[in-house]
Amino acid sequence: MNKPENRVDKIVSDLLHGRRLRLRGGDAEEKAAITAAARLVAARQGPQRMNPAFRRRLKQALESAPTAPWMTRRAALVAGFGLAAGAVAGGLLGRQMEPAAVATRVAGGDPINPIPGKWVDVAAISDLVEGQGKQVNAGGVGAFLFRRGDSVTGVSSICSHLPCELWWNGRQGLLDCPCHPASFTPEGMSTDNTYPLPALNTVHVRVTPAGRVEVLGTD
Amino acid sequence: MPWSGVAMTAGYPPGSQESASDESGDVLQLPMARRATDIALDELEIVYAFIYARVGNRADAEDLTQQVAMKAIPRLREGAPASAIRGYLFATARSVLGGFWSTRLGLSEVELHEDLALAVPPAPPSEGRVDTVQRILAELSDNYRRVLELRFLHGYSLKEVAAEMHSTVGAVKVMQLRALRSAAKVKME
Repeated sequence: MNKPENRVDKIVSDLLHGRRLRLRGGDAEEKAAITAAARLVAARQGPQRMNPAFRRRLKQALESAPTAPWMTRRAALVAGFGLAAGAVAGGLLGRQMEPAAVATRVAGGDPINPIPGKWVDVAAISDLVEGQGKQVNAGGVGAFLFRRGDSVTGVSSICSHLPCELWWNGRQGLLDCPCHPASFTPEGMSTDNTYPLPALNTVHVRVTPAGRVEVLGTD
Repeated sequence: MPWSGVAMTAGYPPGSQESASDESGDVLQLPMARRATDIALDELEIVYAFIYARVGNRADAEDLTQQVAMKAIPRLREGAPASAIRGYLFATARSVLGGFWSTRLGLSEVELHEDLALAVPPAPPSEGRVDTVQRILAELSDNYRRVLELRFLHGYSLKEVAAEMHSTVGAVKVMQLRALRSAAKVKME
């Protein structure tokens, strides 16, 4: 089943049945064939318009965005968008019911201290490439890890403004927020000088003598 | 009120949040926020078609379009002209698509092939997409063209394609993969 022709046919079959693209890391070898399949399926169907229900939802999201009761960053930081809870140091306790716009006035950069915390093995240090962020999950704590020599640092994978999961922009060496134009350095600092956001929360990271990387997370 | 910036660029004075006056005989306008949202939605329709044409399925296209919309909110409020908004939305769409493929395939964006570097379409997608398929298929060898025609245009199963081509399912799978690799080399824009 792992032969490339089988994997690609599975993806083609999903697309022909209107299903979502479900890809694996190993599929990168066939990225050209996969993207061609997606384009052929789309081309066969002709130009698409939004489903009316989706358009309504999008309209509602646009109109309510400034005052929408966003999930708090705190909830996203430790709860992993709804998983187990913990506590974040730095004065966020007790603010979990406040909207994000209020919560983000708190200075960022504080470490996430989940309660109860648990060291979670997330990778081998050899899996980390210098200059590249690696996204990991330690239970309910999501993080990006960065290696410098034998040491590893980590920042939360949740934006310091909206509760959105960041992604690694390898070309620019930055963490980008998909929800708004915001980027952060691997140290967690906002790159926008005109509208600087709080720094990303850091995560506790340690490297074991066996060369394993552990992040303080949750079960 | 949201979107006042966009509405302002449509020729209304800053701070005016009410419907345009009809005292001068102008056509009564919709409330500004609603009007601006509708403008944004119309632009997002084009973005949706653009994204759909590259991911080939509704669920991913909706997720990505929503990401573009949410990411664009601050810019839409800055009062940029409509042309700039479209440019920004498509720039954002390219970034979001890059992130999508990068995450799904486990690649850094640098590693992504330039075929994912997507040009900003000057106008909404044309109606001639099927012609585009035919143009792509025309570049392929007979067997490759046939297998993709049967599979993608006629919706045949592998077994049906194998029967049609007097071949085996295994051989058709391999041929399909090779045909897609060849199709990827054809300029689709």
